[in-house]
Amino acid sequence: MRKLAGAVMALTVLGSCTDQSGTAAVRGTEAGQAVTLSAYPEQVYWGDTHLHTANSLDAFAFGNRLGPEQALRFARGEKVRSTTGIDAQLARPLDFLVIADHSDSLGSTRRLYEMPSSQVTDPVLRHWQDLMKAGPRQSQKIIGELMVLGAKGEIPKAYYELGSEQATREIWTEHTGIVERYNEPGRFTAFMGFEFSLQPNGNNLHRVVIFRDGKDKADQVLPFGSQGAGINVERLWDYMDRYEQATGGRALAIPHNSNVSNGTMFELVRPDGGPMTAAYARKRAAHEPLVEATQIKGDSEAHPFLSPNDEFAGYGVAGWELGNISLTLPKDNSMFAGEYVREALKRGLEIEARTGVNPYKLGMIGSTDSHTSLATSDDDNFFGKHTGNEPNTIRAMEPMNLGGADGRIGWNFLASGYAAVWARANTREALFDAMMRREVYATTGPRMKVRLFGGWDFTAADLAVDWVKAGYTRGVPMGGDLRKGSGRAPLFIVSALKDPMGANLDRVQMVKGWVDAGGKSHEKVFDVVWSDMATRKPGSDGKVPAVGNTVNEAKASYANTIGAAELTTVWRDPTFDPGQRAFYYLRVLEIPTPRWVLYDALRYGAKLDAGIEKVHQERAYTSPIWYDPKS
Amino acid sequence: MTLSDRLRSLSHEPLAHFLLGGLAIFLFFAWRGTEVDPASRTIVIDEPQVERLATQFSRTFRRTPTTQEIDGLIRDYIKEEVYNREALRLGLDRDDTVIRQRLRQKMEFLARSSAESEQPSDADLQRMLDANPAKYGSGAVISFDQIYLGEGAIAEARAKALLARLGRTDNWRGLGDPLSVPASMERATQADIERQFGDIFAGELASLASKPAEVWRGPVPSGFGAHLVRLRAATLPQPPKLSEVRQQVENDWRAATIDKREAAAYQALLDGYTVRIEKP
Repeated sequence: MRKLAGAVMALTVLGSCTDQSGTAAVRGTEAGQAVTLSAYPEQVYWGDTHLHTANSLDAFAFGNRLGPEQALRFARGEKVRSTTGIDAQLARPLDFLVIADHSDSLGSTRRLYEMPSSQVTDPVLRHWQDLMKAGPRQSQKIIGELMVLGAKGEIPKAYYELGSEQATREIWTEHTGIVERYNEPGRFTAFMGFEFSLQPNGNNLHRVVIFRDGKDKADQVLPFGSQGAGINVERLWDYMDRYEQATGGRALAIPHNSNVSNGTMFELVRPDGGPMTAAYARKRAAHEPLVEATQIKGDSEAHPFLSPNDEFAGYGVAGWELGNISLTLPKDNSMFAGEYVREALKRGLEIEARTGVNPYKLGMIGSTDSHTSLATSDDDNFFGKHTGNEPNTIRAMEPMNLGGADGRIGWNFLASGYAAVWARANTREALFDAMMRREVYATTGPRMKVRLFGGWDFTAADLAVDWVKAGYTRGVPMGGDLRKGSGRAPLFIVSALKDPMGANLDRVQMVKGWVDAGGKSHEKVFDVVWSDMATRKPGSDGKVPAVGNTVNEAKASYANTIGAAELTTVWRDPTFDPGQRAFYYLRVLEIPTPRWVLYDALRYGAKLDAGIEKVHQERAYTSPIWYDPKS
Repeated sequence: MTLSDRLRSLSHEPLAHFLLGGLAIFLFFAWRGTEVDPASRTIVIDEPQVERLATQFSRTFRRTPTTQEIDGLIRDYIKEEVYNREALRLGLDRDDTVIRQRLRQKMEFLARSSAESEQPSDADLQRMLDANPAKYGSGAVISFDQIYLGEGAIAEARAKALLARLGRTDNWRGLGDPLSVPASMERATQADIERQFGDIFAGELASLASKPAEVWRGPVPSGFGAHLVRLRAATLPQPPKLSEVRQQVENDWRAATIDKREAAAYQALLDGYTVRIEKP
């Protein structure tokens, strides 16, 4: 019956659209509706590129019973009942969604659950089947066991055998059929994609893969698995190349949770320990234009160990700094540099200085990595990492180890984040192309509107007129490369508008990284525009004083009586050296607001221990603009 | 009504689906032929049964089982059968929540699966569209101008002062504070306005739609602060044609139909029961 459904859907698949720049409109749907492309990106589109459904092996074991259709309906704005029976609906629908179920053992846990127990001969599988049937609490133990066995490479072969090629193909084509039905060019974009969950020894090297294309092309491949001898990230890139050659389509990969890779996500050498080469760097950069810098399992922008002078660098690191994803290997300070995005951007410049190619030329997005099929990202609607911690009284203080050891507690998880994409229309092609040119930014959930343009002749007077047009015509947007300059310092149009349904803004900072003549990288954070500039004067250390705090912890509320609605300026780099390669990205900070744990305390009477983080400053990170003296 | 019409209309009947489903289950069990009376103390493993075990094995492991493995499968099957019969004899299925939930899930799945492959007719979809015009249409579209006057009490005072002056001038552009939102929007939907200005402002603007146009009013609050607004036009566009929103309507039809099927199947069964609730 399922197969029949897939076949019928395949017949109704709509012709895929093409985004040829220069054309005013692209064909949208079968009915001939055209989707108009604006001359330049006028609208920022909001989405989640990283959502798991019941088809993910772990999500199902966690108890999730909502499939891709419910996930899409929820993102599109419909009311959906969560697995634990809570009605859920987004106050603001999303513009796009990538369902990124784990390619490994796609649908296998469900298959194991539904298998006659007499067929399950492997003792570990039988034990897991028993756990699943014993109820949700027991079922969640499977994840810990999977993680630990996975880190040791000891997941029973029989588990992977559950996912025969035929079984995987059935579930993939059913999935792509559903995604295709929910893709409405101009209104809502549903991307084909999956997660490649490579994690040697429990060091997280996961990637989300996104296809630009529709079912006709996606059905020509199967999601690429991370298990098996010789599988590494280069094999994933080869797979993407084969897809592109065979179908004429496009694919990109987005690494995530570098913060639990134990220093292996952004190495100075190749994964095999050999020296970084231009060829390897070029291959990586061509396939991976973005990084997911913030999500439920912590924030990977910056770490205090690497950035001791950055008082805002410790966001969302508590718990995640203890070890790798499975907590099977502890972490030491030497590993942070290969884990945090700011350092990766700096390493990219260093490697470029040596080899001529930057492997880490990364734009930034946020996404959820939610395993509940519900793409929630606000602190007042946090549905938890997985079905076991959908809203309840204990989740904030409960141990939440994905692996076996002690360490991480519920509150370490963030209600984060979303991907913001500046595109010319809401279609697969327009959004994908914007991701490829890195015209995107990350937020921890709030929908603040952030613009960044770099150029050589901007003036404050530009802000009085159509500065967006000025930005595009006389400069480059976030994600781009500064064009050749005259040797004078570059100027940046900086604009951050608060989320109209959220908190005011504290400040906008420019984060600069550069390489000196000796090939060593440096960083500096500049406060470039902030609220109440007349009264909040920088101190002797050059830092703008804290904005204050209006949070009422008992009521889980805050007041927009401090901060600003919009912060805009034209900024000139006072430390510019035309001979040094550099990058510039914005970090936008909101005023302090309640974390999800305070909403849990208010709504469910959750007891919170002293010393946990209850208040935070949510933020956005833009993709950088790069400067290369040779360009 | 011809026979084919009759069959077609029958094919839309939830009860017909349910009965067909029931027939399928019956046929499946009749074919499987193993659902013997639990009271029986004879277990027969015949050739077709062994073949089934072997087939299931090879489907899972992509190779044929060895003779020893077949023996193991048979031993295991006998054990499962013995335990199952004894458990049923002891009535263990009746007070086990896990088993009860699993059985319920299986029944729900059977009731829902028929709708997944069904194709709705245009008339089905048109009915769905007609019943929810607000959902598929854009709702009222509004054209307006706005002037932003900042945040807090000062902004409200500024708004009132400016409002008094605005009556006498059409030269409003450039007044107020700059803000990166449109000063004017044309034929904007509620969702368009909410995206730019937030829900409070969009709601306020919608409530002004019935008042005379071309008049500056305010202060109107938004997530950014206070605004003066001038509505120029508010119109309710024609409801969308099915061809324009077919995909969304069909998705919703399918989701709703699956739920309805399940509810109807449950109701059909429930109708066969007498339920007495004796509340304390």
